Amino acid sequence: MKPPVPTYLTIAEAGRLIAQKKLSPVELTKALLKRIETVDPSLNAFLLVTGQKALTAARSAEKAIMAGQKGPLLGIPVAYKDIYETAGVRTTAHSRILLDNVPKQDAETVRRLHDAGAIMLGKLATHEFAIGGPATDLPWPPARNPWDTRRFTGGSSSGSGAAVAAGLALGALGSDTGGSIRLPAAFCGIAGLKPTPGLVSRRGVIPLAPSLDTAGPMAWTAEDCAILLDALAGHDPADPASVAVPVGGYAKGIEAPIKGLRVGVLRRFFEHDAPASPEVMRMMADSIRLFRAMGCKIEDAALPPVQDYNGVGRVIISSEAYALHEATLRTRLSDYSRVFRIRVLAGALIRAADYIAAQRRRTDLIAATAEAFKRFDVLICPPVPDAAPLLAEQRPDDGFARPLITTVANVAAVPSMVVCAGFTTTGLPLGLEIMGPAWADGLVLRVGHQLERAAGTRDRRPA
Amino acid sequence: MASPPPASAPIISPAEIQILVSRAGLVLNPGQVADLVLAWRQVAGLIGAMNRERRIADDMALVFRLPPPTTTAPAVAKRAAPAKQAKEPPPQVKPAATARSQPAGKAKTPPRLAPAKQSAPKSPAKARRR
Repeated sequence: MKPPVPTYLTIAEAGRLIAQKKLSPVELTKALLKRIETVDPSLNAFLLVTGQKALTAARSAEKAIMAGQKGPLLGIPVAYKDIYETAGVRTTAHSRILLDNVPKQDAETVRRLHDAGAIMLGKLATHEFAIGGPATDLPWPPARNPWDTRRFTGGSSSGSGAAVAAGLALGALGSDTGGSIRLPAAFCGIAGLKPTPGLVSRRGVIPLAPSLDTAGPMAWTAEDCAILLDALAGHDPADPASVAVPVGGYAKGIEAPIKGLRVGVLRRFFEHDAPASPEVMRMMADSIRLFRAMGCKIEDAALPPVQDYNGVGRVIISSEAYALHEATLRTRLSDYSRVFRIRVLAGALIRAADYIAAQRRRTDLIAATAEAFKRFDVLICPPVPDAAPLLAEQRPDDGFARPLITTVANVAAVPSMVVCAGFTTTGLPLGLEIMGPAWADGLVLRVGHQLERAAGTRDRRPA
Repeated sequence: MASPPPASAPIISPAEIQILVSRAGLVLNPGQVADLVLAWRQVAGLIGAMNRERRIADDMALVFRLPPPTTTAPAVAKRAAPAKQAKEPPPQVKPAATARSQPAGKAKTPPRLAPAKQSAPKSPAKARRR
């Protein structure tokens, strides 16, 4: 009798077992499809499960392994936020507008993962067109948090956060324009990286605000994000923002010691700009203690106020999102969710002078942030002031005025990741955000990995 | 020359919003106008608070990127290339395999948003499994 497939595996663990021929990609895929069937009705993480395609790909991966091929993603089942185009597979952006949209080709990122041997399990829930909040007036319900299904996953990569946390997929792709990878990573207790803009191609990812959009990995651990980034990163001449820089070695470099690293604590962010709950304050104190124990030099750091970054980010997002959707808003307004309309329609009223002022101010904020990295290797803060809120507390008109720390990294064009650094007394995960200077994605992953391990949070899964 | 101090974003009445909305080609019902008034007040607050103290000379141009010269460039241009450039090692980058034949700026664009449809959407239960 074959041993059962473990319920929870990281990409690194599964990759090792598959390479040693102790785990069959077909058996792993079957186990995950079964788990999706059992668990997902209470989570709504998947909009579409591509079971037959997944099994076909798993059989191909198994053949390749038996033929001697190797690779860290060969035979690894993953899933994609439903704004990633997938050839022949419906891609809706969780919207009635694209209900029948079947792309002819894969997003560049999807192609890269498939070339590396990853297996697509299906398409994941998002906020409509990656903006807004949970909506009940769309063809699919919003995703729910596996740690407590009454709670919000965070967004907009809501299905990606829920699926990875619940062990329905070993990894996922998300997108991040103002925090959409890192917010669900924080609320769902997983790891998520918003890479440096230009490192990962956005070709074939339905855009929200091209000035700020980034595509990136989400997984149970920082190490798994590094494995995914090794496949995802690389120049794509067809994405005008893609930059030809040396890439790779993210997973390989993750164990290098962080002793002597200069860690800046963005204390004003969570004590003043977006005041944190007592439990988040405790998590920050614990994380600082762990960094000290690992030999890092800790000091308070200062950046311009969160509200400065937020104002710039939200003016750019509203303007660009409105411009992209204007024609459809004119003809199919009522087919969009109310929360989408509230977030995007204001873009119709923003003057060109204000949009350009936001872009000019962004240049200053990029420079001010880069200046801070002359004194520090990484900057840390909580991405959100508290653990996951109740879904019922989410209001469609909420959000513009509330300061959002994650938007700082989008506006500043730096890499940023969230890892699980602790739990509340009621067992909800708490995330820590780590920002690095542009192109230091490997360093951010390394710091995230070592903090995650020191905090000992990766052995605890949702009940 | 420093920019003049920013003017706070003006408060717009629902009637004025209606005019701007019409100018944008949108048709909103009263509830949608009310939502927009609320959203606009929040955005207007952010615009009003935005720091604009920046020298006018700080922005020389908007950023754009020209495509690289084509391989059919005049032979004379090839001969003019300095020898030392040829010795520079190529950057170690992973090219996008499917993009090799595509010139910059010719990326496959995301789907055009679909035209209006009369039929009701599929039920979530039907749409969910494929």
